[in-house]
Amino acid sequence: MLAYIFSVQSEWLKRKNSAAVWLTILGGTFVPLIILGVRFYHFDQLAAQNASADLWERLYRHGWQYMGFLLLPMGGILVTSLITQLETRSNAWKLLHVTPQRFTTIFLAKLTVILVLLLFFFLLFNINIYLTGVVPAWVVHDVPYPVAPFPWIKYLSGSGQFLLACLPIVALQYLLGLLYRNFMLPLGIGLGLYIASVMALSWKYAYTIPYIYCMMLANNGVIPSGTYIMPAGYFMVFAVLAYILYIRKKEKG
Amino acid sequence: MNYCIEVAGLAYQFSDNTPVLKDIQLRVPQGAIYGFLGPNGAGKTTTLRLITGLLRMQKGTVQILGRSFREHRLEILRQTGSLIESPAIYEHLSAAENLLVLQRIYQCPKSNIMEVLQTVGLAAVSNKKAGQFSLGMKQRLALAMAMLHHPKLLILDEPTNGLDPNGIIEMRDLLKKINREQGISILISSHLLPEIERLATHLGIISKGRMVFEGSLEQLSGLRQQVRGYLLDTTDNAAALELLAAQEIPVVTDTGRIQVPALPVAAIAELNSQLVQQGIGVYGIQPVKNDLETIFMDLIQA
Repeated sequence: MLAYIFSVQSEWLKRKNSAAVWLTILGGTFVPLIILGVRFYHFDQLAAQNASADLWERLYRHGWQYMGFLLLPMGGILVTSLITQLETRSNAWKLLHVTPQRFTTIFLAKLTVILVLLLFFFLLFNINIYLTGVVPAWVVHDVPYPVAPFPWIKYLSGSGQFLLACLPIVALQYLLGLLYRNFMLPLGIGLGLYIASVMALSWKYAYTIPYIYCMMLANNGVIPSGTYIMPAGYFMVFAVLAYILYIRKKEKG
Repeated sequence: MNYCIEVAGLAYQFSDNTPVLKDIQLRVPQGAIYGFLGPNGAGKTTTLRLITGLLRMQKGTVQILGRSFREHRLEILRQTGSLIESPAIYEHLSAAENLLVLQRIYQCPKSNIMEVLQTVGLAAVSNKKAGQFSLGMKQRLALAMAMLHHPKLLILDEPTNGLDPNGIIEMRDLLKKINREQGISILISSHLLPEIERLATHLGIISKGRMVFEGSLEQLSGLRQQVRGYLLDTTDNAAALELLAAQEIPVVTDTGRIQVPALPVAAIAELNSQLVQQGIGVYGIQPVKNDLETIFMDLIQA
């Protein structure tokens, strides 16, 4: 257990100054900033919006609509690929694999860092959505503080669903990143699968496509009932497959 | 003698059955600087990658610091530092951060970071991003990373590749210093004979996937003392060649002088008498000794 914690600490240090961190911050900030900009653009409606009972509901819907359809799947593809490919770009697999760590520890530590970044993204996004509601009240004298209480449970449960929905993307991109010592290939496959998912969104069996769940949630507000098991299942299958392929790789660097 | 690396019967072939290594035997004495020499493509890097576990072993055994690598991988890696091929460095991190990444894994004291940076002469640029380093600085940082946890053994694959002459001298002095002051055994591969000759105490030569020599530098120097032929200076080379041909003695004349093989001393004296009896003046008989380059070339071409 200690070895795992030290390994996560080591992996966490590597993401410093990396594009993955900036993408996470940008991803969690971009949509709320746009929403805030739009709110200020319709300046005359600010007071009424903050006084309405469904302010948080509308912010949630708008925020996750853009985020879930485009930025979350894209961000998942990019961040996972960037973190996994850190070793490839630095030519450092051989360095990592001659450190006294079990391969299982390395595998789990890298995956942990990706998942922590994902959680950080969700946290940042929710805080920023909250700020889009309260910032107008702070900076404009006549705009009241939102009267509706912040629906923590709804935001938490919604974030949980989107987190679950993007896990298959994370696991498959992780698998591809470990399998191919090449940055463009996993990225290309990921983007290809995303585009295929967009095209198949209205298909009867669209729920079988691993990259589609974020879009379904963003579009319909729900993943078809009974199919929540699918993203969780895909995540488990891809993660186990990634682990087996990684462990069995003949060349470790 | 205690050995920090003992490799026996190591063989490796690619998936298309092309053999890369054949029955490699290699023993690195404790405290030695072992030069692992061979031309490009001889199998040096493959051997080192197998020894460090970067390639899955197919045949043979590897014992490091007295333990089987297969069974005690983690304990061995805790006491070993490696630099395989080009330096593996996180270029978006500073030199100190690169070392901190490894310090977390080895859980060695943080003070080791500045200590090794000072040893390799990078203390002044510890906060500079590694991506801005020259190749020589990157090599030195990679060496610092290999030494961070005070290993008993360093495995270095062509650490002077791409360095300018000054960088090569600096790296050589650094390795000698580490070996002398800290007692670290070093296995270093290279394709440059003069580099290894100036650095190593022991030597292994690999060619076409086979070990063709293993021993101390003194043993190799012993080969150097062996006479590989004699140069004859005569007043009439054409007549001398005729006489030698009549006696079926093979000669080489490409330097304008006659070179005969390393015949016994009595045979050379007899040959001299015969030449003089035929009226050919002999004004010089000079033994030709091996130089290291010739020995090396003979070994790898055998």
